[in-house]
Amino acid sequence: MSIMELNGGSVIAMVGKDCVAIASDLRLGNQALGISSSFQRIFPVTDRVYVGLPGLATDVTTLRERFRYRVNMYTIKEEREIEPETFAHLVSSTLYEHRFGPYFIEPVMAGLSKTPSGGYKPFIAATDLIGCLNFAKDFVVAGTASAKLFGVAEGLWEPDLEAEDLFETISQTLLNAVDRDAYSGWGAIVHVITKDKIITRTLKARMD
Amino acid sequence: MPDMTSLAHPQQRAFNPYTENGGTILAIAGADFSVIAGDTRQSEGYSIQTRYAPKVFRLTDRAVLAVNGFAADGNMFVKKVKQRLEWYRHAHAKDMPLRAIARLIQTMLYARRFFPYYVYNILGGIEEDGTGAVYSFDPVGSYEREACRAAGAAQSLVQPFLDNQIYFKNQVPAPGTSHPAHLPLPTVLSIVIDSFTSATERHIEVGDGLEIYIVLAKGRTLHGTESIGGMQELTTTDDGERVFVVRRDLKKD
Amino acid sequence: MFLTRSEYDRGVNTFSPEGRLFQVEYAIEAIKLGSTTVGIRTPEGVVLAVEKRVQSPLLESSSIEKIMEIDTHLGCAMSGLTADARTMIDHARVTAQNHAFTYDEKIKVESVTQAVCDLALRFGESVHDEEAMMSRPFGVALLIAGVDELGPQLYHTDPSGTFMRYDAKAIGSGSEAAQSELQDKWHKQMTLLEAQKLTLRVLKQVMEEKLDHHNVQLAQACHTAERL
Repeated sequence: MSIMELNGGSVIAMVGKDCVAIASDLRLGNQALGISSSFQRIFPVTDRVYVGLPGLATDVTTLRERFRYRVNMYTIKEEREIEPETFAHLVSSTLYEHRFGPYFIEPVMAGLSKTPSGGYKPFIAATDLIGCLNFAKDFVVAGTASAKLFGVAEGLWEPDLEAEDLFETISQTLLNAVDRDAYSGWGAIVHVITKDKIITRTLKARMD
Repeated sequence: MPDMTSLAHPQQRAFNPYTENGGTILAIAGADFSVIAGDTRQSEGYSIQTRYAPKVFRLTDRAVLAVNGFAADGNMFVKKVKQRLEWYRHAHAKDMPLRAIARLIQTMLYARRFFPYYVYNILGGIEEDGTGAVYSFDPVGSYEREACRAAGAAQSLVQPFLDNQIYFKNQVPAPGTSHPAHLPLPTVLSIVIDSFTSATERHIEVGDGLEIYIVLAKGRTLHGTESIGGMQELTTTDDGERVFVVRRDLKKD
Repeated sequence: MFLTRSEYDRGVNTFSPEGRLFQVEYAIEAIKLGSTTVGIRTPEGVVLAVEKRVQSPLLESSSIEKIMEIDTHLGCAMSGLTADARTMIDHARVTAQNHAFTYDEKIKVESVTQAVCDLALRFGESVHDEEAMMSRPFGVALLIAGVDELGPQLYHTDPSGTFMRYDAKAIGSGSEAAQSELQDKWHKQMTLLEAQKLTLRVLKQVMEEKLDHHNVQLAQACHTAERL
C-alpha cells in the first residue's frame, strides 16, 4: 500500500495566453472506498496564486495551514503580496525541511507574476514530495492520475490558449484522465486566473 | 576439500522466465476500415535493445495483429497463430474470418492459463460483414470487440486521450446533433500519430519508429490520406480487403 | 506361397493382387442391404428422407431413428449398419462443437464430412503392439446435409472414406431405382416443398409397404435452422 495513493486525487495546472488554470478532482477516499466527493485540495494563496495539494489528505490540511502561516508572515514582514515564484520556493523549502520524514504531498502551483513593466506573466510549477521544483512552460500534473494527465495533456494542450479555450482544455484533460483512474474523480473543480478575474467552475463529471 | 559448511544453510534460487520489453500498441476501428499501430522500440530496463523490432503483423489480407509485452513470447505467439491460420486454410479452403481469429487467439491464450504468454494482443481488421473491427485481449484470453484500444507501456497515457477523441467522452454534442459513431480515416490517422508522438514525449520506453497498418474493406479506397506519404501495399489477393503499412520516425531520445 | 482370394479377406488393410480391399468392398455391399435413404439439394435447403422398415406390428416405429442432427446447421441420414453410424455421428458432433468452440463460427459441411471420412479410414490402425481401435470398416453410408456460407449442400460418404457432393442422392436397397428417378425429376430451381414431395414419391416407388408417417422419417436443413 502506497501512502501517496491512500486517499487518491489529482491536480493539473496549465499555461495559457496571459492566463493560467489549475484544476483538481474532488474525491477523498480510503483506498478503494470513496469517502467524500467534495474534498477541496486547491487553495488560494493570494489573489493571483493558487496551490493544489494532491497526496495524503491529512498532510493536505497540515500543509495548507503551514503555507497560510508562512505566507501571512511573509506578507506582514515584506508588506507586499507574495509572488508566485517566491511562493514556489517557499513550498520547496518547506517540503525539503522534512527531507527524511516528508509530507506525502506533491504540490502544484499556478499564478500570474508581476513583470517590471506592470503586466502579468503566467507561472506554473510543481514539486515532488521533498520539494524538487519543476518550472514547466506548458503544464504540470500530480496525483494518482498523473500518467493519464500527462498523456491527455500532451495531446490536447497548445500554446497561447485564451482563457475560455484554456478552461476547455484543462477541463477535458482532467475529466478524461480521472475517468481512467479509480482513485481520482467524483467531481472536479477548475480555476482560471486572468489579470482581472478568477473564473472558478465545478464540472459535471462521472460520479462512478 | 569443498566447503561443507555452505551445505548447512538452505539456499533459494529463482529463475524469472519473463521480461517486460516496453513499447506501446494501439488500434482504432472505422466504419469500413481498421488502423493498427505500434512503435518499434524494444527495451529491457533502461537499455534499448533495438530501435526496430516490429510489434504489428499482417496475418491475412483482412487481419492484423499487434502484440505487446514480453517480446520473446509475442514473437512465438504470432508464429503459432500464423501456423494455425495456415492449417485452417488447408482444412477449410478459405482464409479465417476475423471473429474466428479472435476466438482462436482466446483458446490459444487460455490453453496456457498457468504459464501464460506474457503479452497483450490487439487484433484489427475487417469482419465478414465488411465493418472495421478491433478485438483486444488480456494475457490469458479474455477478449472484447471495441472501437479503439491502446495497450502496453503508455496505455495509461494514450487510452484516456482516445476515450476523449474517439468516443467523445466528456464532450456534449451541440443541441440537435450527435457524435459520429465512426471517424473518417484521415482523422483516425492523425489521432494515431498524435497519440504516439505524445507517448514518445513522455514515456522513455516509447519511440524510435512507428508502424501503422491500415486494413480497408472490399471496395474502399485510401482517398483523403494523400498527405501521409510512404504508404506501402501488402495485399496478396485482388478483389478483396486490402492492407497497407506506413512507417514513420519517432523521436529517438 | 500363393494365397487364394479368400485369404485376402482376412486382413482389413491387405490389398489383393488386383489392388482391391475386399473388406471395404463388402462393407459397401452391406449398405445395399440397408433401407432406402434419399437426399435432395435445392437453393432453399436440403431435404433428407429415409424408409423405416417396421418389421413387426409390435415394433414402436418412433424408436427407429435414421436421421440425426450433427449441429444446428447440419443433418445426417444413414443407410446400412446404423449402429456404426452412431460412432461416426458422435465424431461429427464433437468435431462441429470443437470448431464452434475454437473459431466461434459454424463448421462447413465439407469440413465435417472430411472429418467423418478421416475416421472411416482408421480401421485396422494400431500403435505398436496395442490392439486396433476399430477392427473393421464402418458398414454404413451417410448423407450429410447442411447449410453454410456456400449455401445448402449434400454430401455422400461410404465405408472407403470417399465423399462426394451431390444435387440429389439415393442410397440403400432401393437406391438404383431411386437414383434414376431423381436424375429424371431433379431440377435446379426446385423449391423445398417440391423436394419434399419428390423424396416421398421416390421412396414410395421403391418401398414394399404402403408409405405412412410410421415408416418414413423426413428432415430438412435450410437457411434459418435445421428442422426435423
